[in-house]
Amino acid sequence: MTESRTGAGTRGARRVFRRTLEAVVVVLVAALAAVVVLGVAFRKAGAALVWYDEAASILLAWLTYYGAALVALKRGHIGVPVLVERLRGRVRTVVLLVGEAAVVGFFLVLAWAGLQVQGALAGTALVSMPAVPAALAQSVIPIGAVLFIVAQLLSLPGALRGGGGEAGEGGGALP
Amino acid sequence: MTVALVLLLLVLVLVNVPIAVALGLVAVVAIVATGGVGALPNAGLLMFSGSTKFPLIAIPLFILAGAIMNRSGISRRLVAFASAVFGFIRGGLSMVSISASMFFAEISGSAVADVAALGSILIPAMRKRGYSREFAAAVTSSSATLAVIIPPSIPMILYGVMSNASVVELFVAGILPGVAGGLLMMFVAYLWARRAKLPMEESFRLGHVWRTFREAGWSLLLPVVILGGIFGGWVTATEGAGLAVVAALLIGGVVYRELSVARLRRAILECGRQTAVVMLLVASSALLGDFLTEVRVPQQIAASIMEITDSKLAILALLNLFLLAIGLFLHSAAAIILVVPVVMPLIEAAGIDPVHFGLIVTLNLGIGQQTPPVASVLVTACSVARADIWRVTRANLWFIAVLVAILGVVTYVPGFSMALVELFYR
Repeated sequence: MTESRTGAGTRGARRVFRRTLEAVVVVLVAALAAVVVLGVAFRKAGAALVWYDEAASILLAWLTYYGAALVALKRGHIGVPVLVERLRGRVRTVVLLVGEAAVVGFFLVLAWAGLQVQGALAGTALVSMPAVPAALAQSVIPIGAVLFIVAQLLSLPGALRGGGGEAGEGGGALP
Repeated sequence: MTVALVLLLLVLVLVNVPIAVALGLVAVVAIVATGGVGALPNAGLLMFSGSTKFPLIAIPLFILAGAIMNRSGISRRLVAFASAVFGFIRGGLSMVSISASMFFAEISGSAVADVAALGSILIPAMRKRGYSREFAAAVTSSSATLAVIIPPSIPMILYGVMSNASVVELFVAGILPGVAGGLLMMFVAYLWARRAKLPMEESFRLGHVWRTFREAGWSLLLPVVILGGIFGGWVTATEGAGLAVVAALLIGGVVYRELSVARLRRAILECGRQTAVVMLLVASSALLGDFLTEVRVPQQIAASIMEITDSKLAILALLNLFLLAIGLFLHSAAAIILVVPVVMPLIEAAGIDPVHFGLIVTLNLGIGQQTPPVASVLVTACSVARADIWRVTRANLWFIAVLVAILGVVTYVPGFSMALVELFYR
């Protein structure tokens, strides 16, 4: 009974997490497309937007990390699962957990590094948008790292059972 | 130190750590080993700047345009038009698959998108007309790979950014090999169809061709306008991709009226996910690239190979073998990000044109999309056809041979791919 409640709780948390990230990704993709189109339109009209390149680049960075956490929830990042798929039982679990530890460890380091950068950037602003603090643009590194860890942990039970993470729409099928 | 890092990378990849994360972890170890813990905050800065490369913005936008068009009924219209043009030939549906792939390639730039969009329509249709599961999957899969050489091409954009080569010139270099590859595949499909006594689809009627052309006209016009704008220098590749999104929205939402809000949302999410997968790789490769540049590993590799031979032909043969081997085990985006920065000094030292080499890389990795165990496009086709991957590979050998032949000509007759680039841009 308790176990099924825990399972339902994890599924609920995964759903909320996925829907929130999906909403963020939809907004970022739409904003990126809008900024590029506006940039072209204004340049062709002879009134190039000075902030266009920088804004689009920052949106791309944000899309990278918020999207990466969404893909991690479905375990959709490119890997080579051949060995793990062939393993069985306890060996498989141990190998899988070693991989998990490596992923979580990397993003912990990245979150810490990102926070250090936040401190160093205090008081500085973006070149083409002086009203926007540089730390806001770079905040995606510590936030994205933490989100990736959360996604990894939420999808761990599914990975241990031998499936992907969150059910539903596909992961990150590659171009 | 470098050997230890390569071993660490191999171990991480083998325990199924995502390649992007494995690259980042190896870079973190290298940073700590060379600069101490105090140098680690630099990792945060590099992972941010690595994901802000402006030319890469073309990737999500081309993916988005393709995803929108795919959800707007374009695949159905392209198939109807291709069927009207090629359906009278024996094995007509395989011709339809190849020609529709070539059209679709001009919009999406992604072979997986291509095979998913067209395969779901054409593979069941081929099965109904008596084509074997294996042949149906093979022809759909191989022709989809043309998407990586026919512009726009997402692997080419990635290569251009990693090598500082012109993306527009890469696009132009892909035109002739892409068209030649498509025609050769049609010839192979025809020979197969005669042997297997596959049926014709419909008689050739000019009125029917015109009707289907008018229905598919907007989707056929889109690549002409976008690629024309890019090749003509009116817009950059990134701006062209932005315009492709606007055009796809107008065609799907206003002209065809098949693009609902729910479909648009799914297209945007698909774009976001695919972009994130590629871009995380790009960002973590920037982290490792910084270390590699510092210790001059690529330059050392280039010097060692140049000591053995400085013949362009021999170096290209070696690189072809290396890239074909890499393509067996890595997805094309990961392979480009891992290999290109390492081999570029060798390419420069040997006097090979980076645009010419870009097409060689793209073709090799396109072949890799067809060769198991890691073959993203083939796997997608097999999953649609519910066919065994190794049996499909046996049927696919003829089409892979076409791709290898095109690779051979592109490698050793540079004029074949570079003629249009020389004519218009040099």
